Amino acid sequence: MNLWDTGRNMDGRISKIIIVGGGSAGWLSAGVIAAEHRIDADALQPFEVILIESPDVPTIGVGEGTWPSMRTTLQRMGLPETDFIRECDASFKQGTWFRDWRTGSGDTYCHPFTVPTDYAEINLVPHWLALTDAPQFADAVTPQTALFADCLAPKQITTPEYAFVVNYGYHLDAGKFAERLRRHCTEHLGVKHVRANVLHINAAENGDIRSVTTDSAGEISGDLFVDCTGTNSLLLGEHFEIPFQSRQACLFNDTALAAQVPYADDHQPIQSCTRSTAQTAGWIWDIGLSTRRGTGHVYSSAHISEDEATAQLLAYLRESAGDEAASRVVPRKIRFQPGHRQKFWHRNCVAVGMSSGFIEPLEASALVMVELAAGMIADQLPPTRETMDIVAKRYNQKFLRHWNQIVEFLKLHYVLSARDDSPYWRDNRAPESIPDKLSERLSLWQYRSPWHQDAEAVDELFPTASYQYILYGMGFNTEPRHTRAHQQDARERQAFELFRKNAARATQLRQALPGNRELLNKVNEFGFQNL
Amino acid sequence: MSQYQVLDRDKHRELRIKTGYGAALGDAVMYVMTYPMEFRDIQSCYPILFTKDPNTGGFFAAAVLGFEANQNLFLHDNGWDASYIPALVQRQPFLLATGGEDANAAPVVSLDLDHPRVSDREGEALFDSQGGTTEFLHRKVALLDKLHHGLQHGKGFVDALLRHELLEKITLDIAFNDGDKRTVEGFYSIAEERLYQLKGNVLESLNEAGYLQPVFMAVASLSRVRDIIERRNRLRVQA
Repeated sequence: MNLWDTGRNMDGRISKIIIVGGGSAGWLSAGVIAAEHRIDADALQPFEVILIESPDVPTIGVGEGTWPSMRTTLQRMGLPETDFIRECDASFKQGTWFRDWRTGSGDTYCHPFTVPTDYAEINLVPHWLALTDAPQFADAVTPQTALFADCLAPKQITTPEYAFVVNYGYHLDAGKFAERLRRHCTEHLGVKHVRANVLHINAAENGDIRSVTTDSAGEISGDLFVDCTGTNSLLLGEHFEIPFQSRQACLFNDTALAAQVPYADDHQPIQSCTRSTAQTAGWIWDIGLSTRRGTGHVYSSAHISEDEATAQLLAYLRESAGDEAASRVVPRKIRFQPGHRQKFWHRNCVAVGMSSGFIEPLEASALVMVELAAGMIADQLPPTRETMDIVAKRYNQKFLRHWNQIVEFLKLHYVLSARDDSPYWRDNRAPESIPDKLSERLSLWQYRSPWHQDAEAVDELFPTASYQYILYGMGFNTEPRHTRAHQQDARERQAFELFRKNAARATQLRQALPGNRELLNKVNEFGFQNL
Repeated sequence: MSQYQVLDRDKHRELRIKTGYGAALGDAVMYVMTYPMEFRDIQSCYPILFTKDPNTGGFFAAAVLGFEANQNLFLHDNGWDASYIPALVQRQPFLLATGGEDANAAPVVSLDLDHPRVSDREGEALFDSQGGTTEFLHRKVALLDKLHHGLQHGKGFVDALLRHELLEKITLDIAFNDGDKRTVEGFYSIAEERLYQLKGNVLESLNEAGYLQPVFMAVASLSRVRDIIERRNRLRVQA
């Protein structure tokens, strides 16, 4: 007798989704799918979402930074923002602040979550390049980066939940996040939770996965299997043997040393952006949760020894948290192979999260890829097995494009660097390590800055504005055009007016917005209203 | 800034309180807090809208007096032009202080020594020469009691409104006769469509808490928006 096995649908309708693996990937997938296909007792066709989680496998806390998309994802699942912030030690993130990426001698720039003002209408790059005594690119084109230095929040306590004054995502504790999602999914969204180890994957006659055999919950069958088993990739990788495609020839980092650091006291400001500080063979992340900092050194093991990498991390921590805090740190080592599966949806199995691939967290792309995957599965859920292969084909094309763009966009950070203090930085600029498409684009961008025409699809992961922030933050030069548009004077006036407005708006926001910590304290005490 | 002290017969024997109304007495405010038991009186003169406490983000009900900060369209040279004056204005500069260390402690009459109504020469005395309480202070204490009772009763009101999704954002887009246009944001009103769909149990629970009648009073009060627009139009003609 098996409690969970209600049988497959013999008419080919897809109505039983089995998610293998908990963690952020599993629970986000479960939540988004279940929220989109509300399990309704009166429905003619029962719809089930079952998540099988091993009681023995600890989840890897990957990706403690999110994109603004996470607000939409959580809202879609119906999780109140106040609960999320309180229970996942979350704080507000407004972008990334880079140090030492250009020259290694204290240079800084920002990649904020807000696109340049009036981006749809005007490309501010040429006008900014023409300025003498220009502020940094991001500071000129958006008021948001003026909030980074003083750790200011993106909203006020009177701003409704999930709404903002300036755009934001989160820093969060991935372990607590998975736990909070599990409760929400099982208590409010009708997701069934099975704690058991998967022993076998059972094939159907046509080659699909028919069911999985577990140690304590018997055999569980389903119509669609979502593989969230992490780097093990039990279903897609092990069972279906979909090959892994390494991207290490382009992005060298393959090891991380993660360390948690306490705040000095309850008043220390909480950073409202991720800080990324380049080292001789990698970079150090530093994110502010509400209760602690999460830091780590991600590096290329071919370029630096673990001892040296540890020494660099500890030096950073001594500088930023003091000798005592640094002396108590015991870094946790995580090895990973940068890359992804050759495809992600095969037959009736789709891999989400690390089972589909993983690349260094330079632009916090791990969780957003999970959100995109869960969103597409939920939105495009094929009604029948016959149509599933069409959806799978489109899914594979789209996600391969996303992975390629991640590789290209992350590589952009490295190739623009002028650092010459180690083989790592020189190797990063070796032409054979640079994807062809990126080389082509960089050639073009010497003469014309990227804007809307550079987007190859409407749903590109990194908008063209992000390329602008990295290029001109890193000091890339685009030559001025030798022709003038009929509307040139009007455009120039508009651009200077926007620069002036941004500066004024920055001053106004700095006065109106509370500190990140101050707002988090208020969220703990009072919570956000939902309107 | 405010400087609150517990009212003390000896310490405050000589204090006087200026009466009347005016900007110089601290009455030039855009809105003043109100509470459900007062809604019937308030709606006869003022629109009742809801707004958020900037410090906590929590909602409270307010009688709206103007369209911009520090604008009270009911203030005239010779006072406050309305048949009813909100209790939270009348009580100035007093309040009942509750709690402190002990949440169950009885509330005590306190006053804000920095309030412009507080004087040592002008206005009504609080104590007579023998140290007895004046009729003026008696009336203020009675008002504070009523206010305290009203605020206690109204404590669950906003939560009940939110629970039943009875609040919605309202943006006032107003064009005045002199051509001036103003968009007033940050206010919320009763969501009437939701209200008229409420059924059995919910209506009963609101009624038992004494919250149903105030909800309709708040709805009715929106007619008063016309009146304050008129006041604003007259203001510009005079100026």
